[in-house]
This record gives sequence, structure tokens and C-alpha cells, in this order.
Amino acid sequence: MSQNPAEKPKSEKPKRKIRRSVSSLIAVTFLVTGILALILAVYASSQILAFIGLGVTFWGALFLFITPVRYVESSLLTSTAASMYSTIDRIISDFKYAGKGYYVPPYPQEAYLPEHLKGLKDTIVFIAAQKNDTMPSIEETAQGKFLLTNPKGILIVPPGLGLLNQIKKKIPATKIKLNELCEVLPRIILEDFNIAKDLTMHTEADRVKLTIHGSLYKNLYNPKNKLKSIYILGCPLTSAIACTLAITTGKAVTIQKTIIYPGGSKIDTEYQIMQG
Amino acid sequence: MNFPLSLSDISLWFAVTAIILLITSELLLSLPEYSAQFMIDKKKLRLAALGCGLAFLFTVLIRI
Repeated sequence: MSQNPAEKPKSEKPKRKIRRSVSSLIAVTFLVTGILALILAVYASSQILAFIGLGVTFWGALFLFITPVRYVESSLLTSTAASMYSTIDRIISDFKYAGKGYYVPPYPQEAYLPEHLKGLKDTIVFIAAQKNDTMPSIEETAQGKFLLTNPKGILIVPPGLGLLNQIKKKIPATKIKLNELCEVLPRIILEDFNIAKDLTMHTEADRVKLTIHGSLYKNLYNPKNKLKSIYILGCPLTSAIACTLAITTGKAVTIQKTIIYPGGSKIDTEYQIMQG
Repeated sequence: MNFPLSLSDISLWFAVTAIILLITSELLLSLPEYSAQFMIDKKKLRLAALGCGLAFLFTVLIRI
């Protein structure tokens, strides 16, 4: 016999769920203790008690102030991204595509474009059918299609688009030079997003070499996941960097090589900036 | 029933607190590989440190 969960027996008292983090509890305890110490200090005219009260109150308030809004487990990042790569894998294997992924530079959002070319403002990746296939024409890209016929391939949204949008809030990628980007971008990724332990970028002619230590997305490269598209598109972090490179240079960018060190502790990625 | 701390005492307290907070926030911001383990809002910590430093300077200005 099924029972409606809304109908609870009268004897069962409603349980209040109190989810207060330990740091908040410590902060409140500090605050209360500190204020009590300050009141006592005034009554007893004790300088030492006043110092203790001032310090404890201050640190209590500080603990409350610096407590982060919300943190999630880093493993959630990879588990939520893996399903998207599995979908792309299925598409690629179904169409038997073996080409590279080209990160197409979008037109600036503020630029004027005719209505039929508005699709050029979207950040997209072109996965070519054959290894030697060229980039699709502007008209085909602008139509916002998924499946292209000449050259054969698919146009998809890059996995790092979400991260790219966050990066764009910090740096105007269209207004800085490639060398400046290689200096600024690692600092933003490390300090503001904390998604890797160390990250370095340097340019060599038309190539950009990226080294990531302790990436939060390292599990995506785990051979157990059997993801093929991760080597074509890169993880969300390398994908976002490829998008940023495409925006900065105004040229298509491909992931040329990815080297994964044991345990994913270090990931080397080489981007190629396409000429012409 | 007067508050037992003078302006000099509060100024000293602000100075010591500001130094502790400034050093902590600078260390946390300059070493992201280690500070990633601490689940605190580093920007707010820096703000608090700067606030304490400014409060100390303000007490110095009053005393001059």
C-alpha cells in the first residue's frame, strides 16, 4: 500500500534541517565570546580582557566575512563534463570522422554584421571528416548548421565555452597581444579560478605550448573513460584556452598534440595557429 | 565604567592585526598552488587586511 509522503503521522515531529558549516559555528562562537569579554572588560576595567575581547570579536567577524559562498567537489566537474564528451565520441564514431578540431575565431559581439551572417559571432569548433580537410566557408559557418557537406564535418559548441565566458569577464581577449595573453591568462586561471596547480604558456612561431600541472580535469584523460574527443577538442580548460587563442589571433586554432603524464599530474598541449 | 583601551592601544592592536592579515593574504594570493586547499574568499581577506591597515593609519592621523 502506498503512502502519500505529505501525510505524516501526528506523533512524528517535523525535523528541521540545520545546515551550518563548522566555520560559521566557530565564527559565531568567537563573536559571542568576544562580545562577552568586551562587556566584562568595561565592567571590570580590565585592559587585558578588552584586548582579548577585541581580538576574538574581530576574528569571529572575519571568519564570517571570508567564508566562501559555496564550494563543490572537484570530481563533479569531470563527471558532469564526461557525458558531453561521450556524446561527441558517439557522433564522431558514427560518422567515422578522423579530422582535427578547428576552433573558429568568432566576430566581436559589437561588430556589425548583416542578418544572414550573425552566426559568425558564435564561438564554435569545426570537426573535419578527413585529416586534410580545410576550414568551412564563411557562408556555411554563418548558417549555424550542425552538419556540413563541403567540406564534410560538424560544427559544435566548444566544451570550454562556459569557462571562456568567465575568462572574458576578466580579460578582453580581442584587445591584447598573444604574448601578453600568455602572461595574463595563466595568472587568471590559477588565481581566480583555481582549476590547476600550475599553468604555463609560451609561444613558438605559430605554435603555443601549454603545460598544466594538477588540472582538475585530469580524470577526463584517464584511459578508463575511453574518450577520443578529448584529444580532438581538449578538456574544458584547454578548450577555453584554444578559444581565447582564436579570439586573440583572429585565426583558427587546432590542438596539435596532447601528452598526458602518468596519473595526469602533468598535461602538455600544443596548439597550432592556422595561417591564412 | 569606561572603555579600558586608549587610542594608542587600539592603534597598536590595528597595526598588529593589519600586519598579520596583510602577510597572510599576500602569501595566499602569491602561492595559488598551496592556497587552493584553503576554502576561504581570498579577496575578502585582502579587503579586510587593507581595511585594518587603513584603520591604523586613521588612528595615527588622529593622534598627530
